[in-house]
Amino acid sequence: MGLRSIEYVIQEAFTGIRRNGLMAFASVSTIALSLGVLGTFALLALAANRFVLSRVNQFEIAVFIEGKTLADIKPALERIRSIPGVESLSVRDRMKEWEAFKRDRPDFESAGVPFDVLPFAVDVKVSDPSRIAPIAAEIRTIKGVDRVNESRELVDRVLAVLQVVRVLSILGVGVLLITTAFIISNAIRLTLYARRLEIKIMQLVGATNQFIRLPLVLEGIVLGSVGAVVAWLFLALGGRYVSAVAEKIVFIGRISSGVDRAELALGLVILGALIGAVGSLVSIRRFLHD
Amino acid sequence: MIRFENVSVQYPNGVRALNDISIRVRKGDFVFIVGPTGSGKSTLLKLIYREIVPTSGTVLVDGEDVGTLKPSQVPYLRRKLGIVFQDFKLLPQKNVWENLAFAMRAIGKHPREIRRRVSEVLNLVGLSHRCDAFPHQMSGGEQQRAAIARALVNYPTVLLADEPTGNLDPETSWDIMQLLEQINTHGTTVLVATHDSQIVDRMKKRVIQLESGRVVRDQEEGVYQHTNLTEDLCCGA
Repeated sequence: MGLRSIEYVIQEAFTGIRRNGLMAFASVSTIALSLGVLGTFALLALAANRFVLSRVNQFEIAVFIEGKTLADIKPALERIRSIPGVESLSVRDRMKEWEAFKRDRPDFESAGVPFDVLPFAVDVKVSDPSRIAPIAAEIRTIKGVDRVNESRELVDRVLAVLQVVRVLSILGVGVLLITTAFIISNAIRLTLYARRLEIKIMQLVGATNQFIRLPLVLEGIVLGSVGAVVAWLFLALGGRYVSAVAEKIVFIGRISSGVDRAELALGLVILGALIGAVGSLVSIRRFLHD
Repeated sequence: MIRFENVSVQYPNGVRALNDISIRVRKGDFVFIVGPTGSGKSTLLKLIYREIVPTSGTVLVDGEDVGTLKPSQVPYLRRKLGIVFQDFKLLPQKNVWENLAFAMRAIGKHPREIRRRVSEVLNLVGLSHRCDAFPHQMSGGEQQRAAIARALVNYPTVLLADEPTGNLDPETSWDIMQLLEQINTHGTTVLVATHDSQIVDRMKKRVIQLESGRVVRDQEEGVYQHTNLTEDLCCGA
């Protein structure tokens, strides 16, 4: 495809949008609305996901290692640190632990017992909560490790909730995505219908399908992107308002989806352009073969 | 140039539009295809520009079997053909000049060539002075001239006209036919489907007469046949 053809495609696409202003407006608003709903749902799902994750991340593995001095347990600590998925270690202050232990059990004959009979307590932070069980198992095999507490039940329950949230949100986004593509394909079919004479004439004078298709696909991409920008404005401004209100009402504090505005804009525009392109391709295919 | 060999067309709804037709049109011919509504005239033209494919038999254009043409090759067949319709099919939101330019742009012609050729063709059909008029501002005759100009703009070797004078008064119809004849004398093969008997009689060109999908007459310097065909059909059925 030569430079002139590219120029033609771009020119035709924008002429098409200008000449069919009302249809273009209808497509853009449809796309904006659909993407707005889709985006709202996706952001809410992300926020829910993040919220559950933030609770889970408070869980860590407590490891008790036998040893008189810190130097004794150093090899074990090194090995734990080298396990993939382990984020950080912190060794608890043994003196404090000893005081707490004595306080908890006043009947214990502590006089004369040195504090270093207690094992070292180490808190291991894990990056992915679903990896807690295997990591704990691996730690157990390390020499010198006395006991490993992983508060498994709680983690499992939270992970189960997270799983449900994930499946539901993927399902929801999937359904909305298909619906959006369908609505957009219909909107583009209407613009094509409005231009059927133009397309017919192009076919009769011997324009290749490529030549007929490309300006229309570009038109779909432009309309999709513009719709996405409108949806983005809606989400960015609306999102700020909603989170400001939510902060005041909901006791859990500020919830964020963790998506920043630039990411959101990029994501929406790519999605809009993609949907516009696919929507017009599908419609044109049907149209050209009629 | 154009050959039909035992061509039959049956539409999906069961209607047999053409029945074992064999004709031959040479380069530079001027041919009228006549017959009442539903006799298969339009179907015959549609076979040539591959709007439809024959149910059986072969249609050859320039020695090429049109019926088995790959879809990707159809545009290149159509670039050899100029097609004119009863309803003109001009784009209402474009003026005459833009309508012609559109047909050239659609097949990727250079802007410089478009400027030169559009003026040339408008001059040929006598519409130079109306080049910035929109279709709704023109008379039927002018619109058909514009449509013919558009059909000619990409240098077709064959001009197909399906009832080109169907929407025009006799005077204007005659002017349009004169234009088509003039185009024919420049070497373009012209096929005109019509049931305008006056014009056919006056032009004294080759006449192929269809009736219920069959060729009933193929005559050089023919006339339309003066009997009322529609009535014949009704009574003969």
